[in-house]
Amino acid sequence: MRIFVVLAASLFFAQTAFAEPVGSPIPVGIAVGQTTNVALFGEEQVNGAKVAEKMINEKGGVNGTPIKLVFQDTGGDEAGAINAFQNLISRDKVVAIIGPTLSQQAFAANPIANQAKVPVVGPSNTAKGVAQIGEYVSRISAPMTLVAPNALKRALAINPNVKNVAVVYAQDDAFNVSETGIFQEAIKDQGLNIAMVQKTSVKDTDFTTQVTAILGANVDMVVMSCLAADGGNMVKQLRQFGYEGLIVGGNGFNSPNMYPVCGKECTGVIVAQAYSPKADNAENNAFVPVFKEMFKKDPAQFSAQAYTSVKVVVDALSEVEKNSGKKVAEMDTAELRTALNAAIISSTYETPLGEIVLDADGEITQKTFYVSQIKIADDGKTGAMELLPE
Amino acid sequence: MFLDNYGFLMVAIIQQALLGMSLWYPLMAGQLSLASIGFYSMGGYIAAIMGTSPLFAAWRETLGPALYPVEWLIAMLASVLLGLLVGIPALRLRGIYLALATIAFVQVLNVVVLVLDVTGGAVGLFGIPQPFEKRIAYLWFFGPLLIVMLLFSWRLTRTVAGRSFMAIREDELAAQAMGISTTYEKVRAFVIGCGLAGVVGAMSAPFLNTWNARQSSFDASVACLAYVLIGGARSIWGPLLGAILLVALPEVLRPLKDARLIMNGIVLVVACIYLPQGIAGLLASLRRKASGVA
Amino acid sequence: MNIVSILQNILNGLSIGSVYAIFALGYTLVFSILGIINFAHGAVFTLGAYCTYALAVGDFGLNGLLAGTSLPFSLPFPLALLGGSVMAGFVGVLVERLAFRPLRAKGADPLLALVSSLGVALILVNCLQFLVGAEIYSFPSGIFGSLPMAMIFKMDGKILAVRTVQLIILCVSLVMLLALAWFMNRTRMGKALQATAENPETASLLGINVDRYILSTFFISGALGGLAGTLIGASFGLAGPYFGVSYGLKGLAVIVLGGLGSIPGAVLGGLVIGLGEAFLPPDYSSMKEAVAFVMLFVILLARPQGLLGQQTIQKV
Repeated sequence: MRIFVVLAASLFFAQTAFAEPVGSPIPVGIAVGQTTNVALFGEEQVNGAKVAEKMINEKGGVNGTPIKLVFQDTGGDEAGAINAFQNLISRDKVVAIIGPTLSQQAFAANPIANQAKVPVVGPSNTAKGVAQIGEYVSRISAPMTLVAPNALKRALAINPNVKNVAVVYAQDDAFNVSETGIFQEAIKDQGLNIAMVQKTSVKDTDFTTQVTAILGANVDMVVMSCLAADGGNMVKQLRQFGYEGLIVGGNGFNSPNMYPVCGKECTGVIVAQAYSPKADNAENNAFVPVFKEMFKKDPAQFSAQAYTSVKVVVDALSEVEKNSGKKVAEMDTAELRTALNAAIISSTYETPLGEIVLDADGEITQKTFYVSQIKIADDGKTGAMELLPE
Repeated sequence: MFLDNYGFLMVAIIQQALLGMSLWYPLMAGQLSLASIGFYSMGGYIAAIMGTSPLFAAWRETLGPALYPVEWLIAMLASVLLGLLVGIPALRLRGIYLALATIAFVQVLNVVVLVLDVTGGAVGLFGIPQPFEKRIAYLWFFGPLLIVMLLFSWRLTRTVAGRSFMAIREDELAAQAMGISTTYEKVRAFVIGCGLAGVVGAMSAPFLNTWNARQSSFDASVACLAYVLIGGARSIWGPLLGAILLVALPEVLRPLKDARLIMNGIVLVVACIYLPQGIAGLLASLRRKASGVA
Repeated sequence: MNIVSILQNILNGLSIGSVYAIFALGYTLVFSILGIINFAHGAVFTLGAYCTYALAVGDFGLNGLLAGTSLPFSLPFPLALLGGSVMAGFVGVLVERLAFRPLRAKGADPLLALVSSLGVALILVNCLQFLVGAEIYSFPSGIFGSLPMAMIFKMDGKILAVRTVQLIILCVSLVMLLALAWFMNRTRMGKALQATAENPETASLLGINVDRYILSTFFISGALGGLAGTLIGASFGLAGPYFGVSYGLKGLAVIVLGGLGSIPGAVLGGLVIGLGEAFLPPDYSSMKEAVAFVMLFVILLARPQGLLGQQTIQKV
């Protein structure tokens, strides 16, 4: 019975916040999916974040104070994300949280952080409305409005005679549904003919029916909005059945997971990218070699975005020190969280993704997007995405 | 501080215990159903749609906080109706068939909500209005429901209906011979569970802030069954005890990082082998020993 | 719908359906002998595919304990397939030892076996991720030697497309099914298995070592599951440690459709569901996951014993 009294009491009396200094190293929370089937993305995010921690601390952290990443696994579900956030907020006392992996998890967990006045930076949440959850929520993963028309233009530069286009998209994935809308607009703007639209599912792997329909329609370009596993299988089957025209893929294709799925059949696929390891900017030129040294391969977009998120938080921490004239490690945690959030939003950052701007809502504007073409090595296993010239 | 950190977890335990209870009723009549999670999902969608859709803006305005009980009521009625629709044909079957039919029901429901517009497709619904600020305050939703359901279960074991359920569990043919209308009783037990799952879903949509098709995964169905079996299928406390152990476990195991789900699996297996009557059975035998009866 | 696209759908359906059949047979064998559904079968499917991958390719990727390592040897695909299946068979035996035997020995509630087998599945899948990470693996394209990747036939101006891997799947499945039929009906051991399935008590009175046969059943079941996993993996890649889960559920629909415990039923059920999925119009592709379960639901209402099952009144 006593426990109920305690519980009931705590419902009425707001918890008194004790002033506690942040301490050194400065704890930054990473809440991504390290188990269940989300781990496919979560593992890449963890790798990117670890590289960021190493590089930042080697350069002296935040004006001499090192940072420490605190990892909490969210699993693949909403309850897991909430639990991970709660742990980071009240037990690990992090100054900011980077995560979660899925937009659906963001809708569940971000309001919790927002209420606790802890800044959240979303590394991979592309669904509409994530940045608008609350004033403490921002994201660095951009919807693909600009890159789709660019990718088409580059494809037309390769083959100017394209007339008929087949469009394919995974209709049970929100990102791909919105991306295909942009692609279809762009195709019409280029004066091309959409010969057919094929809907697929991200869970699907056997596309023989769709492929034979495309082959029968005599198209010279296929534009796909799918994820790596399903899209890779479809590319493979298109090529195996003798389709020789152009293939343009959306940002879902921007993953090294494409290479094992379609092997040498991937070669030549044009990919619209929010990030490319070949991007030529100072931040990326510093990031890629360290990543390669630690993990023996090019960073994936998820890794680069996780790195970017950590960088955004650290840049903002430096900004706070500069403006307040206090060492952040000596500031009170709650006070720092608020100041940090104010520094995160409405700012510009130099990152491996190029220059990005976060507006007052925490919504990202990304200046540069990339268009690449997949090249698979002769062993048929390893590959790379080569930037197409402007 | 403790409540800030574990408030969500504590309420989640009660929420999951209630879901486990919704399987406990059909199981009391010997029927293994895995449908609860489907009704939970549907209840959640009802609350999420009523909380966010512009169609219900007028309702939200006039009802104010009274909207929540209205959501529960509608979710319960819808679940009971759908439960009858699914239950009457499916419960003519015996043994493992009902379990499989209910798995199929949940899978089909999942595909349907992914394709519909009103359910928000793959992203689901979000920005659901919140009655409380802190997660722990959701105890005001789930706590009273748990107490009511525990009292209901306790009464049920002492009424004719409850005894008929148990008679069917022990021997369906004999129960039939005794003049119990077995299909009627089985449907009754099933539908009680469906209604409860629907209400829990409607309470959970604001609790989780968002609702989507992944709420009714197969893993979640099985988790509910595990609460009941590991807690003790024959005691009214079983689902609660099972949920306390199994919901808290992955959180307690957090320091193990990558290996925590491996440990979770090991605990499931070990509990099945060494606690065949569940935690409730273990507690009962300890009590018997303590009082010197055994 | 013209004749060519009907042919195309039949081919696609039979190819995927035959894998469903092999996979579902693993459930059926265990069900017929123990009356229990082994929920770890999907995990065995996944493990079988990874074992074959390890034997045939042996390079491990970026994440997990084995990151960056590779095995010193690599076997030709047919041998690796065999090896992978045998290893999956042993995983099946392990599942029996961990999840089923201790419960049987105690005479526990059969429902508990459901939870304990899921516990074992959780352990297996997460151990796998611990070792090799969650990334996608796949067999290199040259795995079938010099065979072409696909064939195209032109008929009446329409295209009939056949992937070589589809034909391989169909052939391997057919051989496997014939071998299993021969084993069950023509060998002493197969007959003893059937007797045990019919009535374990009588079988043990007749001097059949029931425990040993249960173990053999799990071995065969696991090997079938692993084989199915490899065939799917060879066709579409190994999409992480969880890629067996949806096949695991679909397999349940297959056995109910065919009739619980019926071996020909599992085969028929697999083919029917494979064909049903293949004939689903491409626009409704996102509904594909529902096909098997809608069929399951309908059959339960219309003919609960399944297509080829026998009506029995069982006391539960």
